[in-house]
Amino acid sequence: MSPRIPDTHAEAWALLPWLANGRIAPEDREWVEAHVQTCAECRAELAAQRMVASHVTREEADSPPQAGSDEQRSFNKLWARIEAAESASIPITGTGAAVGTTRSSRTVRWLAAAVVVQALGLGVLGMSLKNNGAMPASDDFRTRAQEEPRLNAPAVRIVFAPSASIDSVNTLLENQGLSIVAGPGSQGNFTAELSPDAVASGASAESVATVMKKDPNVTLAEPVQQ
Amino acid sequence: MALQSVDSNTRAAPAPHTDSTERELLERIARSKDQAAFRTLYGNYYQRLSRLLARMSVRREDIEEVVNDTFWVVWTKASEFRGASQLSTWIIGIAYRRALNALRRAKLRPVSDEPFDEDSVSVGSSEEEETNTQWLSLGLERLPVEQRMALELTYTLGHSCEEVAAILDCPVNTVKTRLFRARETLKQVLPELAGMSGEKS
Repeated sequence: MSPRIPDTHAEAWALLPWLANGRIAPEDREWVEAHVQTCAECRAELAAQRMVASHVTREEADSPPQAGSDEQRSFNKLWARIEAAESASIPITGTGAAVGTTRSSRTVRWLAAAVVVQALGLGVLGMSLKNNGAMPASDDFRTRAQEEPRLNAPAVRIVFAPSASIDSVNTLLENQGLSIVAGPGSQGNFTAELSPDAVASGASAESVATVMKKDPNVTLAEPVQQ
Repeated sequence: MALQSVDSNTRAAPAPHTDSTERELLERIARSKDQAAFRTLYGNYYQRLSRLLARMSVRREDIEEVVNDTFWVVWTKASEFRGASQLSTWIIGIAYRRALNALRRAKLRPVSDEPFDEDSVSVGSSEEEETNTQWLSLGLERLPVEQRMALELTYTLGHSCEEVAAILDCPVNTVKTRLFRARETLKQVLPELAGMSGEKS
């Protein structure tokens, strides 16, 4: 069957936006292009639509992107919602469907990991302060919602993956010459300082953050601006 | 306005992430509720959807909610995606319908009956192109959300007519009609688009 060739002005006119954006259907391209070559009105309209396309594309390019931290924060909220919903759907008695059981186990593992990471952070923080002889009085002791700790060295802000184990977190921190000095914050973030040895060897907050970002145990890593 | 040849200035659909790659991610979500796959897919769409929603006049404080509502559906309905359309078509379509709900809740009117505030446009500017840009921006803001979306999906995201119809869940002819009306509205705002010479009074 030979293809339909409408070759009418009205039909070509309606398809000009997709000739302008390059996504016109292959079966329409030939006859629409042929019509445009012979129709001054359609040629002018095609040029006009390219101007509109160029304008909206430029607007899109000029619009500021959302910050990466916004994306992570938004995802964290969504994930918390999913976990809460799936936890709520766990059967109280032990005869639930397999899917529910699987999700339940995963939820518990995730929560357990989060608690372990949080406990780890508190422990490391405590040890660090104790070793520095700077353990604050109990009234001053803050972890959550601590805005910005006083930093004595280049530092990175880290959010560990929910699945990260204690060993993997310890190894990661040790390899990068990092010591946690604050956290967890409201987003589960920790602040970690570079050791003098790491700084002496040429490491910087930026270089360490770049390495950390690539580690599957890390969800977010960024240098802290001092 | 200089006329360009038919073959010039065309561009392929901006599809930074291939459909097959994204389908693999969706399959991992459907099969094993893979969080890493879900996070990657979320990242692929976060900026794109956020910008599109902003251009639909969805309030800034509602954009995150619409994006997350969209991906809530992706998470819960992943196994129901049958692959009749591109994955991006499915996801953007969900976002579009959620955005319409958000706009209704916010009681926003996508079309203003108020006349243009012509004083806000620097008609006397020596830069004609800049002035045209301002008029076009005003014209785009004046479009009803359905027409604006058809135009954005076509020009900003580079979708075909059939893909736009799938996203907006309407017939192909409806897409053509919406774009036709959008084009007419923009010509009223910017006579250069209608091939007329420039007085905007």
